[in-house]
Amino acid sequence: MTIATGEAETPRRSGPARSGTARRVWEHRADYAYVTPAILVMLIVIAYPIYYTIDLSFYTTPPSLQLKDKIFVGFDNYKAILTSDVFWRVTVNTLIWTLASTILSFTLGFATALALHADFIGRGALRAILIIPWVISAVAASYIWKWIYHSDFGVIGAVLVELGIADRPPNFIDSVGTVLPSLIVVNIWREFPFAMIMMTAGLQTVPDQLLRAAQVDGASAWQRFWHVTFPHLRNVSTVTVLLLAVANFNSFIIPWIMTGGGPSNASHIWITHIYELAFGRQRWGVASAYSVLLFIILMTLGYFYVRALAGGEKKGRGA
Amino acid sequence: MTRFTLGGGAILRGTVVFASIASLVSAPARAEPPVDLSKWSPEYVRSIAGTAEFDTAKECGKVTPLDYKGRLTFWYQGVFEGDPDLLRQYYKDFFETFRKTYPNIQLEDQALTYNDLLDKFRTALLGNAAPMAVRLQILGGTEFASKGYLQPLKPEDVGWSTEDFWPGAMKAVTWDGVTYGIPTNNETMAFIWNADIFKRAGLDPNKAPATWDDVVKYSKQIHDKLGIAGYGLVARKNAGNTPYRFMPQLWGYGGGVFDEASANPTYKQIQLNSAASKRALQASYDMYVRDKSVPVSALTNQQADNQPLFLGGQLGMMISHPSDYNVMLDLQKKATGTDKEKAQTVIDNMRYGLIPTGPDGKRAVVFGGSNIHILKPEYVDGGKVDEPAAKALICFWTSPEWSLKMAYAGSNPGNLNGFKTKWMKERLDSIKFLDVTTSMLPYGIPFPALPQSPEIMNIIVPDMLQNALTGAMTVDQAADDAAKKVEDLMGGGGL
Amino acid sequence: MSATAESAARRTRRGKPLDWWRWGGRIFLGFMLLYTAVPMIWMLLTSIKSGFAAMQLPPQWWPAEPTLASYQKLLDPQNSVGRDFLHFFWNSLVVSTLTTILGVIVAVPAAYAFSRFTFPGRNFLFFAVLLRNMFPAVIFLVPLFILMRWLGLVNTQGSLVLTYLTFGLPLAIWLLKGFFDNIPIQLEQAARIDGATRFQAFVRIVMPLSVPGIIATAIYSFIGAWNEYIYAYTFLNRNEQLTLPVGIQRFFSENTTDFPGLMAASFIMSVPVVVLFLVLQRYFVRALTEGAVKH
Repeated sequence: MTIATGEAETPRRSGPARSGTARRVWEHRADYAYVTPAILVMLIVIAYPIYYTIDLSFYTTPPSLQLKDKIFVGFDNYKAILTSDVFWRVTVNTLIWTLASTILSFTLGFATALALHADFIGRGALRAILIIPWVISAVAASYIWKWIYHSDFGVIGAVLVELGIADRPPNFIDSVGTVLPSLIVVNIWREFPFAMIMMTAGLQTVPDQLLRAAQVDGASAWQRFWHVTFPHLRNVSTVTVLLLAVANFNSFIIPWIMTGGGPSNASHIWITHIYELAFGRQRWGVASAYSVLLFIILMTLGYFYVRALAGGEKKGRGA
Repeated sequence: MTRFTLGGGAILRGTVVFASIASLVSAPARAEPPVDLSKWSPEYVRSIAGTAEFDTAKECGKVTPLDYKGRLTFWYQGVFEGDPDLLRQYYKDFFETFRKTYPNIQLEDQALTYNDLLDKFRTALLGNAAPMAVRLQILGGTEFASKGYLQPLKPEDVGWSTEDFWPGAMKAVTWDGVTYGIPTNNETMAFIWNADIFKRAGLDPNKAPATWDDVVKYSKQIHDKLGIAGYGLVARKNAGNTPYRFMPQLWGYGGGVFDEASANPTYKQIQLNSAASKRALQASYDMYVRDKSVPVSALTNQQADNQPLFLGGQLGMMISHPSDYNVMLDLQKKATGTDKEKAQTVIDNMRYGLIPTGPDGKRAVVFGGSNIHILKPEYVDGGKVDEPAAKALICFWTSPEWSLKMAYAGSNPGNLNGFKTKWMKERLDSIKFLDVTTSMLPYGIPFPALPQSPEIMNIIVPDMLQNALTGAMTVDQAADDAAKKVEDLMGGGGL
Repeated sequence: MSATAESAARRTRRGKPLDWWRWGGRIFLGFMLLYTAVPMIWMLLTSIKSGFAAMQLPPQWWPAEPTLASYQKLLDPQNSVGRDFLHFFWNSLVVSTLTTILGVIVAVPAAYAFSRFTFPGRNFLFFAVLLRNMFPAVIFLVPLFILMRWLGLVNTQGSLVLTYLTFGLPLAIWLLKGFFDNIPIQLEQAARIDGATRFQAFVRIVMPLSVPGIIATAIYSFIGAWNEYIYAYTFLNRNEQLTLPVGIQRFFSENTTDFPGLMAASFIMSVPVVVLFLVLQRYFVRALTEGAVKH
């Protein structure tokens, strides 16, 4: 994306032609007025907590002492985290959770957007219904699904037993092996409408002429999709996938309310684990160190995220 | 109910009358508790009920004058939609009466749920935004006392006496030799079962399982015969109920986290991986994994989730509050049509009994309840604590009359004099099974009075259960792992 | 594909060769519909059962005696439950609306600046704002609580509004920026030639054109604030201030679960945002189309 410049800028002042930063800042001071409120809000609400968290990560906070009497322990917290089995198990869980949720919600959302692309009676209503899971509160969704999955009187179990397919309700969230996939299903339920909307918007920008030209040239539906539609959607796909990934990474409510990270830490992801350490077990120091580790990882991912956005913008113009 | 002989009864009544006269005179310090704890039994409890009168306003007027002008902020574990209507009415009455008695004290009270209260209180303290007084569950207080947030406070400060309260309760509210609060109510749970299910499974519908091994056996029989769950196991982490239901089992077998079950605990030696503790854990394993006779959802269940199972006739027995009975009554009143009859059936079939013993006949239950504390001013929102106002409220809540009423449906008065009031008599007559739960009180063992207790009880113990029950570890490994975690925790380290 | 085969396919375009795609699509949509709708239908069914009926096993598919008692209880201002619930509803409305309005006021100028101006630090600030999205909300709970204490905002809804602002800003700024990028600068240039200041051009020319983008931003902020749970849970204590997601938790007391009430409350809680979204989704999609997708 090219930057809109030109007449919008304030005119250069006369005087020695210095290109010092200070001078440029001064010249553009009116511009800053536009962004100051946003920056101010972000600064207040982010800068202090980051500083506080990093500071606290070097201390330990035993339950017998007040927070202000914390004990300095240097890097012990970091060491404790990186050498604990639980951390690595939770890391694996987080990776599975994020990757599976993101890829599957994106795929389902994209497929749904494609299926809804052709107009038919009731399309509007269908689209409206399909969006609802995204809009509904995660808290409500968690309780509903927990009730549905219930190992003793959940709906799914009841149906299967009544149809004679199983003699006991299947165990979704009370078994170490099935809990994470079950939660992922709920997460996808909530997330796919977002992908659907984004891709719907994207599909509407695919130029009709190109598609018709391809049809005239004899391309099959699949070929049209793959060679015309898909390349156009690369930008919006990237953005969607990235937004989904970030949202899933940070998704707290579903795992926490449905299973609390259990059973046996099988559904703990980084974020719920940190919450449990901080609020459940009062290990503020360790939780802070954990958070700092997350910062670092996310910053790295963030760098690529942002580069992709910027790159995607440039590419969008070109394509 | 058995009848006592005239001789015994007369002596009993004589003692009680003497004690009640003494309490009316209300001398500041007494060597004898107002009721005889060594005679505790359902019959005794019935006999002392309705034998004394108390005038709350008069008593508390001596601590803080009734026209005192002040302001008080106060947090407590409140009653909400899921609680019995009767209890909610009493809570309303309490605050109304308090406000009428002390019209010039501006009371700002805040009700929170059991699970929220600890969270929010901790968070508030971090920001020095705590209330002046707080009523906390018994597990929570020690942590805050050890951190220096609470002011020393004992019953004498509000016009009662230490002997008016359960020794176990006073133990739980003491840290480093100083008392930091006053018990408001104490409860012990009992064992509840569905007589109809027992009958259909071929068990004696009127007898509770005598030992925990029997629980395992009965559970299996119920499941094998009827295909429903036998015992209501719970093993959810971060939920208060799990330790309340597992510790009686653990202590019954002779185990424990430390030596908290002994008369004078020192909390020095970890016993979580002793042979006795492992046997207790093995019993749970047998039920969940070997026999599959308990709800599969136990791992994510709180007691709130067992309720629907029991009330739906899908669960044979569980440890529970007497308040379950009241909840059922409420639901039955609100039900319509055939649901009403179904509800009535379940009510008619509910039975209460004492909690089973271990193989050696040891019977134990968690000595639960709540205590009321006053904060130090520097941690309070506003920087000041209105002590006379706080003491007025505390005197009110811990008085015989109100400590009973506020504990009407699911607990027992912290103030032993409450057992002698006429409302106690009413309560025993109108709420079935209360004599059973109150008679469990002497078997009550408080959680270790350590600041690490919340983590041990809410995280480490359920974790141990989950590790064993999911098969992630063997029973031995799970117990050893938990013992190690407790050791690390006490030593201040570990993740 | 050979010319003859293709012309044959063209002639039979309404026949077999395309049906595969279409029927596959239909089945797929059917499945998605089930996946989406069944949980919500179950929620509705549960909400019209009486307390006891909801706890029956095996579950009643259609309640034997359907009742609107749960809804009545929740919406009746005379009832203590209804009073509280309506209060939560109102609080959520206030917080979400404030967040939305403030969010728009803050995001629009910032997005405009990022779109039109060059000034030192522009790129850095832009990406810094976006980076906010990367940090899990949970991490900041305690320091933010302490910060709110400093600012004297503890136990006020202001603390929530301030926090929610930062959740919505990154996406809002990014969306709006894309939107502004697509508005031809010639329009503003024309206005400035006619004597308008930069700011006037912004307000009179650009803003009206960006209404879809602003609406999209508003929807996104509103829904986010309406459904947010964990900060509301941590920052608010007093009953009178609680927002809906936290208030609904009240239905879980220690000893029993009022499932019909919980489901009814969940339903009522979802209605405003669903309606809002359905009514305004057109704008949202347009904004995405023009703002995010076309560059």
